[in-house]
Amino acid sequence: MKSKFPLKRKIQLTFGVAIAMLLAVGMISYRGMAVSDQSDRRVRHTHEVLENLQDLDGAMETVESSYRGFVITGDENSLQAYRAAIARSEQAQANIRDLTVDNSVQQLRIRNLMNLADRSMQYAETVISLRRTKGMNAAADFVREGSGEQIMDQFQERIRSMQDEELRLLVIRNTDASRRSRQFKFVLLFGTVLGLLLAMAAGWSAQRKNFESEFAEEVHKASGAKYRGLLEAAPDAMVVVNHRGEIVLLNLQAEKQFGYHRDELVGQKVKNIIPEGFAERLVADGTRSAAEALAQQIGTGIELIARRKDGTEFPIELMLSPLESAEGILVTAAIRDISVRKEAEKHLARMEGRYRGLLEAAPDAMVVVNQKGDIVLLNVQAEKQFGYRRDELVGQRVKNIIPKGFAERLIADEKRSVEDALAQQIGTGIELTGLRKNGSEFPIEIMLSPLESAEGVLVTAAIRDISVRKEAEKHLARMEGRYRGLLEAAPDAMVVVNQGGEIVLLNVQAEKQFGYRRDELLGQKVKNIIPSGFAERLIADEKRSVEDALAQQIGTGIELIARRKNGSEFPIEIMLSPLDSAEGILVTAAIRNISVRREAEKHLALMEGRYRGLLEAAPDAMVVVNPSGDIVLLNVQAEKQFGYRRDELVGQKVKNIIPEGFAERLVADGLRSAEDALAQQIGTGIELIALRKNGTEFPIEIMLSPLDSAEGILVTAAIRDISVRKEAEKHLARMEGRYRGLLEAAPDAMVVVNQKGDIVLLNVQAEKQFGYHRDELVGQRMKNIIPAGFAERLIADALRSTEDALAQQIGTGIEITGRRKDGTEFPIEIMLSPLESAEGVLVTAAIRDITTRKVAEAHLLYKVEELNRSNEELGQFAYIASHDLQEPLRMVASYTQLLARRYKGRLDSDADEFITFAVDGANRMQRLIQDLLAYSRVGTKGKELRETSSEEALQRAILNLRGAIADSGAMVTHDPLPPVLADETQLVQLFQNLIGNAIKYQNPGVPRIHISAIKNGGGKWTFSVRDNGLGIDPQYFERIFVMFQRLHKREEFAGTGIGLAICKKIVERHGGEISVQSQPGKGSTFSFALAGSGVKS
Amino acid sequence: MPMEVLLVEDSPGDVRLTQEAFRDANPSIRLHVATDGVEAMTFLRREGIHANAPRPDLILLDLNLPKMDGREVLAHIKEDDNLKTIPTVILTTSDAEADIVKSYQLQANCYLSKPVQLDVFESLVGSINDFWLTKVKLPQQK
Repeated sequence: MKSKFPLKRKIQLTFGVAIAMLLAVGMISYRGMAVSDQSDRRVRHTHEVLENLQDLDGAMETVESSYRGFVITGDENSLQAYRAAIARSEQAQANIRDLTVDNSVQQLRIRNLMNLADRSMQYAETVISLRRTKGMNAAADFVREGSGEQIMDQFQERIRSMQDEELRLLVIRNTDASRRSRQFKFVLLFGTVLGLLLAMAAGWSAQRKNFESEFAEEVHKASGAKYRGLLEAAPDAMVVVNHRGEIVLLNLQAEKQFGYHRDELVGQKVKNIIPEGFAERLVADGTRSAAEALAQQIGTGIELIARRKDGTEFPIELMLSPLESAEGILVTAAIRDISVRKEAEKHLARMEGRYRGLLEAAPDAMVVVNQKGDIVLLNVQAEKQFGYRRDELVGQRVKNIIPKGFAERLIADEKRSVEDALAQQIGTGIELTGLRKNGSEFPIEIMLSPLESAEGVLVTAAIRDISVRKEAEKHLARMEGRYRGLLEAAPDAMVVVNQGGEIVLLNVQAEKQFGYRRDELLGQKVKNIIPSGFAERLIADEKRSVEDALAQQIGTGIELIARRKNGSEFPIEIMLSPLDSAEGILVTAAIRNISVRREAEKHLALMEGRYRGLLEAAPDAMVVVNPSGDIVLLNVQAEKQFGYRRDELVGQKVKNIIPEGFAERLVADGLRSAEDALAQQIGTGIELIALRKNGTEFPIEIMLSPLDSAEGILVTAAIRDISVRKEAEKHLARMEGRYRGLLEAAPDAMVVVNQKGDIVLLNVQAEKQFGYHRDELVGQRMKNIIPAGFAERLIADALRSTEDALAQQIGTGIEITGRRKDGTEFPIEIMLSPLESAEGVLVTAAIRDITTRKVAEAHLLYKVEELNRSNEELGQFAYIASHDLQEPLRMVASYTQLLARRYKGRLDSDADEFITFAVDGANRMQRLIQDLLAYSRVGTKGKELRETSSEEALQRAILNLRGAIADSGAMVTHDPLPPVLADETQLVQLFQNLIGNAIKYQNPGVPRIHISAIKNGGGKWTFSVRDNGLGIDPQYFERIFVMFQRLHKREEFAGTGIGLAICKKIVERHGGEISVQSQPGKGSTFSFALAGSGVKS
Repeated sequence: MPMEVLLVEDSPGDVRLTQEAFRDANPSIRLHVATDGVEAMTFLRREGIHANAPRPDLILLDLNLPKMDGREVLAHIKEDDNLKTIPTVILTTSDAEADIVKSYQLQANCYLSKPVQLDVFESLVGSINDFWLTKVKLPQQK
């Protein structure tokens, strides 16, 4: 706008001046404030000075009064006030000096003052010292003199003049200040007013412009408010352009789309965002007006290119609409970004192109139909098939080429949508009739598939001319009646082939065998399934016609190789037969899969080969015979054994070599079949007689086994010449007989047992002993007659073999128990001996019934036990008797002794004698009983014989006899004595008795006793106790050992005579014998034997 | 104070002998006699007719007694807190090992086998008196 330029400047200028004015005002007022500040300070300063002057005045007065006071009182205390006053005065002076430092007049005055103050002080001091020294009167006099007063007057005068000066200054300053401030106020006011005026002017100018446009807006606002709202809310970018092509308005979307800020676009040419196409359309030029130009565009979506702020372009679609406005017609453009759509369109175009290509290339006729049933697209095949040119069909109804069946199927009716309708057809081949241009019809098969497009769902139909197929089908239908039954029912695969070598017909077996579907083979070359051998045979060449060629094959089964769909091959046998037809002679081939047969043949050949091999290699003669008894096969061994050549036997009756026993066994007669007959023989070795070529016979053993073959069940006979075995058997039989004789003759029962524990043989004695019959035992377990102890001994266990097990038993008579048939057991003694045999080591057991022996043994045992018991009882009896006898005896003896003690000499001499005898008798009886007890204790109290040191026993005995030895002065010596098996206590007793006796039965003089021991054979020691005593008369050698036998009177020697009897009993208990050698008057030697303990010898 | 001795013995002959022997050994001893086990316990427990019986300083006990056997008596004595402090000497004709062991197991104070001969017997009694009634310290309380 033209006027805008200067107006803006004007406004700016005005604003600038206004601001400057305000600044100035500000500065002035600041200055004013500073000045008033200063005057305030001045006033304060004056006041301070005045104060200090007052202070000083006061202080000096106090000084004066205090020293005067001192003068009067002489009280030092009053000088405190004096000193304080001085200090105050000095302080005040200093203050004043500082405060008035800038005023030279006042400085002069203060110096004067200070001088006066000093003089005053000095005067005061003088007074004070006078008072102190000279006393009150002197001081008072001094004071009265009055020089001090003069000083004070001067002082005060000075002070006053200073005060006046200060006040004067103050007045001047105040006046000055107030004048200044008045000036300020004026300037302030003026400046402010001016500034404001200027600002107002500027503002007002600016506002006027805005106001105008605002007004214009206001006018439109009413109608445009709604419009604005819509604009902003619009999903598309909205741009309002005036007739000059300038953007007047735009919305948020437009900002976004173009990447601009609103005010960057408003007022700009629309060309900036839509370079071409928009503005032009709107130009109001000579030919038409804007409105007209616009009218042509309005409504249509115009495709243009737009440009973003960053320079990138994008496709848009414009929709224009006019907008009345004060400025004329504005154009509202709705701008839509169609980048995506454009992409899609491009893509679609591409697809279309590709699709088109496929369509054209398709082998079948392809027709694309739209929802209405119009042909949209078709390919060259379709042109050919239907005899039309492309453009004759595009846009036409599909009914024209497919009268019925297609369109109907596609109709979207109320019941279902196009898609559904289509969906039901898709994939299936539908047979319909096609109509060519020339009006001829032909059968077609259509395959539908949907195609999405912008125009909706299109249907692509692949159309196949199935005339040929139809023909074939018709033909087939014709043939069908005739052949279907045969063909289908045929167990073999049937394939009918025409002269061209194509498969015309086939049955389900053929489908199965070859793994094809019927229609995959119909019309195909037969070579596909029978690569070679078939087609060739059928070719009609110059040499012969088809019929001839065929004739040569008909009837024969030809073996060929066939190929399945999956490529695998298999052997077949084909049988050909001709078939007249409209198309000429067809060949029916019956095809049989002979894989299995082939396999079997191979297998059989294999087996045969193997079998032949085995046969020849067999050690035995092998002859294979058929059910009718003819020799079918034989091996070299058979040739040798029978002395025939192979071919002399093959085909001959087996009877010729085995006269009897073989053929019969094999005959299939009314009762049973060959198999049964055979089954009964299989496995067992049958002994028969065979006949050699030279007529000699020899024993054989045959083992039969069946052999399945094509010719039925053959019998393989393994023939073994058993002549030798037979000899051996005879020999054995002879030996057996001899052996049997021995066995039977044996006095003991003989049983021969094998390694398993079964009875192999037994003799008549065994029968008798066990109460069995021979055959009841043969083959039975030995356990049955000897339950325990026999079989076990013979078992070959992990540790040792049967031989070893046996070896340990052989020779020893083993006592075990045998069991008779009736179940009774009896004791037996068995003696084993081994027996080698063909069946291994047999054991011959000689079994002796030892019942009587056992009985005798038992009886003996019984007797011995009884004896022992009896002895035991006796011993016990003796013991108990003695023991119990003791009691009353004790009473008798004790009381008779008491009697003797108390009443001897008190009664008469007879009584004394009687008492003496009684006492004596009782005492003797006691001793006898004690001896008896001792004797019986040897047996009853005897302990086990253990290793005992006989030396120690001797020492003990000597110890026990020490009294007697000491009394008699006897000398007891001994040799080293061995350890023996003995009861120690009894051994001690033995020694004690013998040595005791030796001491007792002594000669006068020193008794000498010597004990020694000599080893004799059998681990025994003979002990000797030799003394030099009285000796014993040989006639009494036996008697002395008998109980209670004495050789001396009681008066001569004490003793009951039991000592040696006890010795004898002890020695006998130890398994020895005691004896004595003696010479009367010389001494005796008692000897006894004891068993050595075996440790040392 | 005279020593009180309880003799538990069934044979009157043996009783008299023992009495005589004790009289010789120590006349001051008061010898009480129980002829069977039951009477012995009655005496010791001061029951019935023996309500005023004195507490013996020593018990001489034979093993083979009628009614209550000596082993039983011994057991009772040694189980009774009151009586077990009285020294109990087994005085019996048996010298069987089994009897000896059993007696000591039942806590007899000692075991004596009655000698066969009179003088030996008298000597033994003297030893008993000498040992058990003179040398040995006995509890005071009655």
